[in-house]
Amino acid sequence: MSSSPTETRAPGATTLVDVTMPQMGVSVAEGTVVAWAKQVGDRVEADETVCEISTDKIDTEVPAPVSGVVAEILVGVDATVEVGVVLARIAVDSASGELPGGGGAAAPTPTAAPTPTAGPAPTAAPTPGAAPPPHVAPVSGAPAVNGASHRRYSPVVQRIAAEHGIDLSVVPGTGRGGRVRKQDVLALVEAAPEAPMHIESPYRPDPVPAGSGGQLSRMRRQIGAHMKRSLETSAHCTSWIEVDMTRVQSARARLGVTALPFVASAVIAALREHPQLNASLEGERYTQHAAVNLGIAVSLGEDGLIVPVIRAAHELSVEGLATRIRDLAKRARTRALTPDEVRGGTFTITNPGQYGTIMATPIINQPQVAILDLEAIVKRPVVVTDADGNDSIAIRAMTILGLSWDHRALDGALAAQFLASLKRGLESV
Amino acid sequence: MPTMTYLQAISSALRDELRADERVFVMGEDIGVFGGAFKVTDGLFEEFGPGRVMDTPLAESAIIGTAVGAAVVGMRPVCEMQFSDFISCGFDQLVNVAGKMNYRQGLAVPITVRLPSGGGFSGGPFHSQNPEAWFMHSPGIKVVAPSTAEDAKGLLHTAIHDPNPVCFMEHKHLYRRIKGDVPSGIYETPMTARVARAGSDLVVIAYGAMVHVALEATEDVDGASIEVLDLRSLVPLDSDAILDSVARCSKVVIMDEANATCAAGAQVAALIAEHGFEDLDGPVVRVATPDVPIPFSPPLEQAVLPSVERVREACRELLAY
Amino acid sequence: MATETAEPAVGAAQHLELEDRIRLLRAMLLMRGIEERAMSLYRQGKVPGSFYDGYGQEAVSAGPAFAMAPEDRLCILHRDLAAHLIRGVSTVRILAQYMGRETGITRGRDGNVHFGDPRLGCVGMVSMLPDMMLVATGMAMAFKLRGEQRCALTWFGDGSTSRGDFHEAMNWAGVQRLPVVFVLENNQYAYSTPLDKQFAVDPVQRAAAYGLTGVTVDGNDAEAMFEATRAARARALAGDGPTLIEAVTMRMHGHAAHDDMKYVPKEQVELWRKRDPVDRQDSRLRELGVDVAAVRAAVLAEIDAATEEALAAPMPSAGDATADVFATGEAVPLGDGQAPWSGFAGRGEVSS
Repeated sequence: MSSSPTETRAPGATTLVDVTMPQMGVSVAEGTVVAWAKQVGDRVEADETVCEISTDKIDTEVPAPVSGVVAEILVGVDATVEVGVVLARIAVDSASGELPGGGGAAAPTPTAAPTPTAGPAPTAAPTPGAAPPPHVAPVSGAPAVNGASHRRYSPVVQRIAAEHGIDLSVVPGTGRGGRVRKQDVLALVEAAPEAPMHIESPYRPDPVPAGSGGQLSRMRRQIGAHMKRSLETSAHCTSWIEVDMTRVQSARARLGVTALPFVASAVIAALREHPQLNASLEGERYTQHAAVNLGIAVSLGEDGLIVPVIRAAHELSVEGLATRIRDLAKRARTRALTPDEVRGGTFTITNPGQYGTIMATPIINQPQVAILDLEAIVKRPVVVTDADGNDSIAIRAMTILGLSWDHRALDGALAAQFLASLKRGLESV
Repeated sequence: MPTMTYLQAISSALRDELRADERVFVMGEDIGVFGGAFKVTDGLFEEFGPGRVMDTPLAESAIIGTAVGAAVVGMRPVCEMQFSDFISCGFDQLVNVAGKMNYRQGLAVPITVRLPSGGGFSGGPFHSQNPEAWFMHSPGIKVVAPSTAEDAKGLLHTAIHDPNPVCFMEHKHLYRRIKGDVPSGIYETPMTARVARAGSDLVVIAYGAMVHVALEATEDVDGASIEVLDLRSLVPLDSDAILDSVARCSKVVIMDEANATCAAGAQVAALIAEHGFEDLDGPVVRVATPDVPIPFSPPLEQAVLPSVERVREACRELLAY
Repeated sequence: MATETAEPAVGAAQHLELEDRIRLLRAMLLMRGIEERAMSLYRQGKVPGSFYDGYGQEAVSAGPAFAMAPEDRLCILHRDLAAHLIRGVSTVRILAQYMGRETGITRGRDGNVHFGDPRLGCVGMVSMLPDMMLVATGMAMAFKLRGEQRCALTWFGDGSTSRGDFHEAMNWAGVQRLPVVFVLENNQYAYSTPLDKQFAVDPVQRAAAYGLTGVTVDGNDAEAMFEATRAARARALAGDGPTLIEAVTMRMHGHAAHDDMKYVPKEQVELWRKRDPVDRQDSRLRELGVDVAAVRAAVLAEIDAATEEALAAPMPSAGDATADVFATGEAVPLGDGQAPWSGFAGRGEVSS
C-alpha cells in the first residue's frame, strides 16, 4: 500500500530514493497531487508527510520512505499522474546508516532493477525503503557509499562486480591495506556455491562487512523478522503424505533432470483441481489466482535465500519447468534476476533434500496460503499391493511431501485432498 | 635458420636490400671503407662500392637533407647517424623537410635513418641517448625499435620498404649481446607489438634493450604470472596490443630507458588511462631513467638506467597493491 | 673555378630565339601580375596568413628556370614564382594556393609560396632557409650516382648563407662534384638586415673555398640569368661540378606584405627602380619590334580569368585536416616539368 521506493544512484555518492504515487486501492490508477508539504532542500524524516494526494477512492498523505533531504520535486500541484509515477526524490543521508526496518508488507516487492552496468557508476542498490529489499542480488559493485567503509575500488574491480552483481563490501581484499584486488572479486565469481535449497526468505537484506561477530548479522535478523512475521500472520499447519517416487525417478533419469520439475508439474496439476491453494491472503483480502506463478526456493549459501518465480508455470511441460528452474537457479546464484522474477508468486516449493532430511515444517511465503516441501527421496522397503490384491515387500523410492498451509484460508481436509492429488499425479508419471 | 647477433641481423638486412634493390644505398660517416663505427656496414663497401655505400662528410644535416633529395628522385637512402645523439644536428631536416613533405606537398620521402641508441657502457651524455620521443612527436615520421635479432632484420626491411621517413632505433647494447634465429632473405616484420612472454597478473611494457631487462626481472616474482609486451613500433603505436594486455593483466609497469618526461612510455600511459581505464586494477607505473643527461662514471650510470632490481621491485609492489 | 662576371649580351644572343625572349618577358609579366593581384586579394582579406612577393627580382627566377630541362629538378623559393610558371603550374592553381583553397597546389596544407608541384619536378620549400640547398644537393647526388645527365637547381637568399646548411650544402656539393646549380638571390636585405650585417665576405667569393665555380650576374637581366644558368648546367653535366650564381638584384617590396621597408634608403630603391627587370625585357623586345602590349594584354586576361575561377574554388573540408600525414603504397618520385626553351625542342617526348 505504501509507495514502493525505488532508488537511483547519481554518479558520485548521494543515494536518491523515489517517492511515487501510491496505489490507493486495487482499481485506482492515478492520483492528483493536492499540496506539497515539503520543498526542495527541506529535511524530511522517514514517514513524515511529503505531499497530499487525492484519488477516486480517498484523499491521503504520502509519507517519506526514508530520512533525508528533498532533492527533486517532479510533479506540480493539481497534476494528475498514474500510480507508480515518481513524484519526488529524497537524497538519503549516507550517514544514516541502517535502512529503516521492514514495513511488514510480505509481498516481495523488488524495487531497483539489478541491471549490471559496465561502468563504474552502478545503477542498482538495495532499497533503503520501507519494504525490505527484494530478492535482488546484493548490489552491483559500487564504491561503497556507506559512511561505514571508505573503501575504494579500482575500475576493473567495479566492472567485474557490476557484471556479476557482487556486493564489494563483502569481498575480502588481499591487496595493500586490505583493498580488493581483481583476483579477489574474480574468486567470488568463480566460486558459485552448489548449495541445496532451503526454506527461503523472500527478502534480500543488505549484507554487512565481515567482522561484526558476536551479534546476529543484519541478514539473519531480517530473515528472522520475516519468518516471525509469517508465523505471526498465518495460522500455520503442516500436513504430510508419503509418495512413491519410483516412476518419477526413472522418468527423470531418462530426461536428465531432477525430481523437482516433476513435483512442480504435479503441483500445478493439483492446484488446478484445488485452486483454493493457489491464492493470496492479505489481511482479510483473499484472492484466488488463475495463473500459477510458481516460486522455487534457491539457497544463496551465506547470503541467504531467494525465491525466483516461474510465471505462468501452468503452461510449461516438465522439461520446460526443468529448464526454467535451472536458469532461474543459476541466475539467482549469480545475482542476475530481474525484479519481475522475484515477485508475484502464487505458490512456493522448497526442496532442501540434498542432505537427506525427510521432513520439515516449512514457513509460508507471504502472502501465499501454502508451501510445499520436498525432502530427500530415500529407498525404503514398502508394502506393495498388486492388481490381484496380493501384498509384497518391494524396494521403492519414497519421499514425504510436507505442505504447510494457512488455516485462515483453508481447512485440513482441503490440504489433505491436495496432497492426495499430488501423490496420485506423481505415482502415475 | 641461421643464428646471428642483433648486429649481424642489421648487416644482413642492409646487404639483402643492396642486392635486391638498386635504388637502395647506405650513407653515413665512416661506414664505407672503415665499415662503420660499430662495424654494422663492414664488408658492404667491398661488395657494393662507393656508389652504394657512401662515406659522407661530417654533416648530419646534410646527410638527412641530401637523403631527402635522393629519395624524391627515386632512390631509397638508408642514412646512418653514427650515434643517435647526433640526430640533433639533423633535426631540422628530418622534422621539417622530411617529416612534413608528404602532408604539405603530396611528395613521399622514403628515407630510413638508422640511429644507434642507448647507454650502459660509459658512453656519457652524448653517446647514450634514446631520442625517439622527439620523433614520435613529429608528424610524418615513423619510429621503430626492435629488441631481437629477428625483429631487427625484419623491421629494417619494413622500414626501407616504407614510403615514409622511418627512424630505426638500433640499440647499441644489444648489438653483440643478443643472438637469435633469423630467417634468411628479405622478410618484413610488421610495425606492431609482440608479446615477449604471456602472463596474467601484470604486464611490463617495454621496447629496445629494456625488453631484456623486463624479461630478466620478471622471470620469477613470487610466482606471479607476468606478461612482457615488446612494443617494437612506437609510431605507429600498437594500441590494440597494449589495451589487450591491459585487459588481461590489469596491472601495468611501463619501462623507458629514455628520460622519463614525455618518453614513449608517457604516451603509452596516457593511452591506457584514457582507453583502458576500466581494466585497471592499480595505477599505471613507470620505470624510467630520470631527467638527467646520462652520466659517464659506471656507478652514476647504473644508478639512472632502469635496472633489473628496480623493475622487479616495481612489479612486486604493484602486484601487492 | 675563379669568380667571374658573366657577359649577358653575347652569350644570350647565341642561345635565345625571339620566341624564347618573349616567353621570358611573359613569365615575368605573369609573375608580377599574379603577385599584384594576390596582394590586392590579400588586402581584401581573401589571402590568409602573410604574403610574400618577388617584385623587382622576377628575372632571378625566370632566367634560370628557363634553362632547366624537363628531367632537371628544382627547389623553388618564395620570390621565385616565375620558376613555377615556366615549369607549367597554372595561374589559377597559384591563386587558389594563396587563398588556401582545395584546388591549390598544397590543398590548403601549406601557404603562400610554400608549394611545388611534384608532378612538374618542383619541391615545395620549408621556412627554414636554406634547407632546400641540401635537398637539391641530394637530388644532384642521385643523378651522379646513377650516371644521369641531369642537374638540380635551387634558389636561396643572401641572409640564408649565414646558416649551417649553406655551408654543408656547398661543401658536400663541392667535395662530391655534384651537378647542382645554386642561385644566390642577393637582393640586398634579409628582412631588415642589410648585407654588411650578414657576412664579412661576399658569399660568391666563398665558392672557390668549397671547390665551386662562382659567378656574379646582373640579377635583373633575365637573359643574362638564363645564360649563366645554361652555362652552369652545361658545366654540371660535363662533370665539372656545381656553380654558385650570385644574382645581384633588389627586393623592391618589403620582406612581406606586412613590412613597409622603412629601413631601406629611398635612394637605393630609386636606383634599382631604374633597373627594373620587366621594364628592361620589355624595352629589349620593343626594340626588336615585338607587340609587347599584346603580350601584356594576354597576360592580364589570363590573370583575370584565373582570379574569377580561383575565387569560386572551394575551401578544403575540415575532415581532411588529418589525412595523408603518411604516404601509403609505393613512393612516387618527382615528375618532369615543362621546358619551353627552344634549346630543348626536338629532344623527343617529354617524359612525365
